[in-house]
Amino acid sequence: MTLRAFALAALSSLALSAAAHAEPWTYTDGSGQTVTLDAAPQRIIASQDAAAGLIPLGIRPVGIYADGPVADAKALQGLDLTGIEIIGQAWGEVDIEKAAALNPDLVLAEWWDRNATWSGGEDVVTLLTQLAPITGVSAGDSILGMIEDYETLAASLGADLAQPSIAAEKTAFENALADFKSAIAAKSGLKVLAVYAGDDALYVADPAGAAELLDMQSWGLDLVEPEGVDAAGNNYFETVSWENADKYPADLILVDNRSPATMKTALAQPTWTLNPGAKAGQVAEWPAFWLRNYTHYAAALTELTTAINAANADLTP
Amino acid sequence: MPVEQANRKAGRAATLGLGLALLGAALFAIVLLSMATGARPIPIDMVWSALVSYDPNSTEHRIIWDLRLPRTVVGVLVGAALGLAGAVLQGATRNPLADPSILGINSGAALFVVLGVSVFGITQLTAYVWLAFIGAGAAMLVVYAVASLGREGSTPIKLALAGAAMTAVMQAIINAILLTSPRTLDEVRFWQVGSLAGRSMEIALQVSPFILAGTVLALATARLLDGLSMGDDVARSLGQRIGLSRGLAGLASVVLAGSAVAAAGPIAFVGLTVPHVARAITGPGYRWILPYSMLMAPILLLGADVIGRIIAPPGEVQVGIVTAFIGAPFFIALVRRRKLAAL
Repeated sequence: MTLRAFALAALSSLALSAAAHAEPWTYTDGSGQTVTLDAAPQRIIASQDAAAGLIPLGIRPVGIYADGPVADAKALQGLDLTGIEIIGQAWGEVDIEKAAALNPDLVLAEWWDRNATWSGGEDVVTLLTQLAPITGVSAGDSILGMIEDYETLAASLGADLAQPSIAAEKTAFENALADFKSAIAAKSGLKVLAVYAGDDALYVADPAGAAELLDMQSWGLDLVEPEGVDAAGNNYFETVSWENADKYPADLILVDNRSPATMKTALAQPTWTLNPGAKAGQVAEWPAFWLRNYTHYAAALTELTTAINAANADLTP
Repeated sequence: MPVEQANRKAGRAATLGLGLALLGAALFAIVLLSMATGARPIPIDMVWSALVSYDPNSTEHRIIWDLRLPRTVVGVLVGAALGLAGAVLQGATRNPLADPSILGINSGAALFVVLGVSVFGITQLTAYVWLAFIGAGAAMLVVYAVASLGREGSTPIKLALAGAAMTAVMQAIINAILLTSPRTLDEVRFWQVGSLAGRSMEIALQVSPFILAGTVLALATARLLDGLSMGDDVARSLGQRIGLSRGLAGLASVVLAGSAVAAAGPIAFVGLTVPHVARAITGPGYRWILPYSMLMAPILLLGADVIGRIIAPPGEVQVGIVTAFIGAPFFIALVRRRKLAAL
């Protein structure tokens, strides 16, 4: 850890001196494009997820565009947003006049490879790139990897990663992870399903499309993999009729918690309890697609650990 | 030859009665089809055994009872209500284009649902029912009040104009809310196209007393509608109280259309098209037009719903979209074949 802290400190001081000398700033983003600016950017507009990755590291954007009402945005929970202008509160929407008034020199978003789009969607990107170039990390195959990508990005932007608070957050996460792993080890045969529940259908998540699910798989969680994702509608889920809610039986069911309404919708379906895990009430929240820092990750893992410890793993063969 | 005339009349009544029985059988068949159609293949004999001897441990039986039966019951109720409401409205206003949407009923219901979602954060379908119902009633009252201004009272023309104006105003407010509140748009967009999906038995139970009362009232107005269809002056000279007749018919159609839009969202074309088809079969005479409309509309609605369930797997097409697709060309064909204005 000391070595790592040292390396990061060295990196960040490098970046600081680079900024001081106003040397060109370069970043190669998730889509493979390289952005070069005359100097490290100071006035950043960030997507809500990029903000969630950067604010804990000490990089404060001047503006944030969110996928929904900021008060409901899981990714921004607990973060200090004072002084940051909110320029969008719906997917695909951004207040371009507010954005222009911020006079940004960079837009930071995330690259979603399966949909080949930046956070916020085409419309937002088209508007914001008139003001400043867009770049950012790739919404990749591991949240841990993304957090490291954010550390690299933050360091290049001048963040001081050697602060003790950052190290403490990481230690807390590592403790939560150790508990999570031992909970999984103690429940052999526990089958887990991650879903989004709509009034029209049940959407079964493909773990390969969600970084946190891939992480959990790599830590030993037995996640159900659906037969095929629905390429017509979305690339991340298989759409299953509520009549077939038991298509993928599981001991523990994780419900997308980006909106609190999703869990309510799931529980209100008469066929929800066709699935043995749902029938036994073994249902927990899936921190879907929004974890971007150690603090959020640790909290989510702790909740899942509790659910796993309490679960009966013998509901499905 | 009065005897021959009476015989011919009796023969016609027998034919039309037989037609009603056939429609009843067709409705029964489409109800069974609706119960047998879905994402999970369930053979028809299993559907039957689920209905007559329910086994709570059978997954198939639970799907029939929890998903398909409520949806089918709501479909029958909503269809019957829409068909009757359309026929009564067309008769009462002597307007061949009258349907629940032209008198502001659908927009009133939609406005209240949208307000409920955006202001009070309501998200449950069962709560939408009351909002829509109150909205439909309020809109109809305002339309009626506006149309009643002036010396000659609420004439059919003034009702249609007031309804169109109110619809435009309410639609503007709805659009203003939806454009500024994406969350509300997200909540109501599936309700707004009209759908039977996800409707529980609770919703059927909520609206069924109103639909029952509205049906009785609507069927009872048949003779009054026959009078009105001859024109206000003739009806008046026959001793009919025009205002009262029109008020009763209006009340019946608001209760019916309000219940329908509450349960399934605004569904277009069923209330407009079906009465014309019924009239084409039965000829003038609301004693037959009303029951024919009441049986034909749920056949159309459930048929459209079954089609919507199977044409786009694994998803569904909302019934409101299917009825519009089926209804529009059908209506055009009807317009070309008959003189619609002959009301």
